[in-house]
Amino acid sequence: MELIVKHADGDTKVKIDRRGAEYQLQIGDQSYVILSAEAANGVRSLLVDGGQYEVSVRSLGEDRYEVTTTAGAATVQVQDPLTQLAEVAHEKQGGTGRQRVAAYMPGRVVSVLVAEGEAVTAGQGLLVLEAMKMENEIQAEQAGVIAKLHVTPGQAVDRGDPLFELEPAGQPDRGAGGQV
Amino acid sequence: MADRPKVLEKVLIANRGEIAVRVLRALRELGRRSAVVYSDADRASLPVLLADEAHRIGPAPSAESYLRAEAIVELAREIGADAIHPGYGFLAESARFAALCGAAGVKFIGPPPAAMAAMGSKIESRRLMIAAGVPVVPGGEDPLASPAEAAAAAAAIGYPVMLKAAAGGGGKGMRLVRDADGLAAAYRAARSEARASFGDDAVYLEKLVERPRHVEIQILADEHGNVVSLGERDCSLQRRHQKVVEEAPSPAVDAPLRRRMSEAAVRAAAAVGYANAGTVEFLLAPDGDFFFLEMNTRLQVEHPITEMVTGIDLVRWQLAIAEGRPLAEELDDVEIRGHAFEVRLYAEDPYRNFAPSPGRIERLRLPQGPGVRNECGVYEGEAVTIHYDPLLAKLVVWGADRGQAMERLDRALSELRIEGIRTTAPLFRALLADADFRRGVVDNDMLDRKLAAGELTPTRSALQRELTTIAAALEHLDRHGRRAARSLARGRRDHWRGAGRREALRGT
Repeated sequence: MELIVKHADGDTKVKIDRRGAEYQLQIGDQSYVILSAEAANGVRSLLVDGGQYEVSVRSLGEDRYEVTTTAGAATVQVQDPLTQLAEVAHEKQGGTGRQRVAAYMPGRVVSVLVAEGEAVTAGQGLLVLEAMKMENEIQAEQAGVIAKLHVTPGQAVDRGDPLFELEPAGQPDRGAGGQV
Repeated sequence: MADRPKVLEKVLIANRGEIAVRVLRALRELGRRSAVVYSDADRASLPVLLADEAHRIGPAPSAESYLRAEAIVELAREIGADAIHPGYGFLAESARFAALCGAAGVKFIGPPPAAMAAMGSKIESRRLMIAAGVPVVPGGEDPLASPAEAAAAAAAIGYPVMLKAAAGGGGKGMRLVRDADGLAAAYRAARSEARASFGDDAVYLEKLVERPRHVEIQILADEHGNVVSLGERDCSLQRRHQKVVEEAPSPAVDAPLRRRMSEAAVRAAAAVGYANAGTVEFLLAPDGDFFFLEMNTRLQVEHPITEMVTGIDLVRWQLAIAEGRPLAEELDDVEIRGHAFEVRLYAEDPYRNFAPSPGRIERLRLPQGPGVRNECGVYEGEAVTIHYDPLLAKLVVWGADRGQAMERLDRALSELRIEGIRTTAPLFRALLADADFRRGVVDNDMLDRKLAAGELTPTRSALQRELTTIAAALEHLDRHGRRAARSLARGRRDHWRGAGRREALRGT
């Protein structure tokens, strides 16, 4: 079975097969023979090349997994190459220049410092979010015009809720979105 | 009023999380009855589960629950509590709350309201410290009514300056201003944050001492006029003015300096008629000069490291002092033994610029073994909400010297697992690999500086990245392998039911 494991910093191709209790894995030109034992609650003990490693894997749905090592947790997505090709094609078709910014964390909108239609410069404060008693100013990543405001002061927002949309000045083909 | 000790048989804890658990432990050891208040969000929290009694105090927002001073005092009377322990945060530094307790005949486990009021206002406390001969940082003491007034004051003492909330603490309402350009925006932000955090938007400013360390002295004072110092804690490692790592003793303090700082701290406490546990915070300049910053009129978050190097149980002494008992003679000249670190485990993601990370704790394994102490306020399966401070737990280690304490901290962190939410734990592994931290050469801005330069951003090693790839691939294969096998065994006639089940699995 061939898989692509998508990390935040890039994709890794994996060939993986199971032979009884053993897994045979190939990553790049590295080959591994791995023994895995599952402890309770998603915890695995991996025996890899003479070393023992404790990892935890939790399924987040949609083939996304949260993997915890001694370095902390990372979320990765596992896909087979055919599914991924379909997605790349979709991305090439879509995508306007408008940057849609969503709340990275749940919290409350303390104040909105700009109005719809207002021209802003890169680094300008746009709104203030409060979460866990700390105020965070959300700034414009680039110069442009506030195309749409989705929030008002006092409003509670969840992670992923849209905050505003920014029409970049001069660069209509910039990426599709971002999170703050 | 406290000539004869009055045993506090039942104590109401007006707090939550790890500090409520800490106070509960002391009460149980002494055989006293413990009661806690809880908000709707904390109905089944760890302190509630450990307490002898638990009483609802309101809905989740702290303004409607843990900050309801009158309701908490009324509750204490109703349930026959002899005393209230405020912990830290919430009402712990409210002189008004302490006075309400006194008026209701409920002992407030902390200093007299007058001492709290004097130290609670940074402006008033500065005046008092100057009068008592305690060194202070140059700066304005008066609340600044407008951006223009702030600009004039800043110009008079010279940049850089620090804007501070008069009622403040914990970094809230505080802003560093490097030049006149940034002053107006910082002034407005500081006032807004001060109002939101303390209900009081008075701010003042003072000169910034460059590259100082934050060194604080733990004191105990009884209700008979005796004050002792229990030595210092170094809390220089701060992120945006929030303490992150603390250690005792300070690598920058030798015995003569400890004596001088202790004497100043004892003078500070005596100047306001202080009683109970308290902490006098100083800025320590690289040349050994130190300046009074503020006094925290309560138990500190980082009190355990003092307990580790002195062997003194501070919460027990808080109770003894509140019962009117005098300080014991052995507290007069306490020996500092070994070295201790505390790291604060916040529900924040160090890989994403410390964004808050609420959610369910899917797995919790606390480290154990020699020299390790956990002060944890949560349990596995609990949901961390956005309503309160993100401090989940404190990991405290003790070693015979600083080197051994660092080794133990590293070892303990390697055992620790908190999953389901992100925590600051990876930052501490990165810090332990930092040469400046290892040598003990730090200052209050170092952490922010290094984080901004990307030096301490936790990184995943190539091995850990590879392990992540392997683990995800294994899990994926196991899931898909099982699904595929099941579909095949069922055969064609079951095709649609199998598809439906796959959809259902995806949806979970």
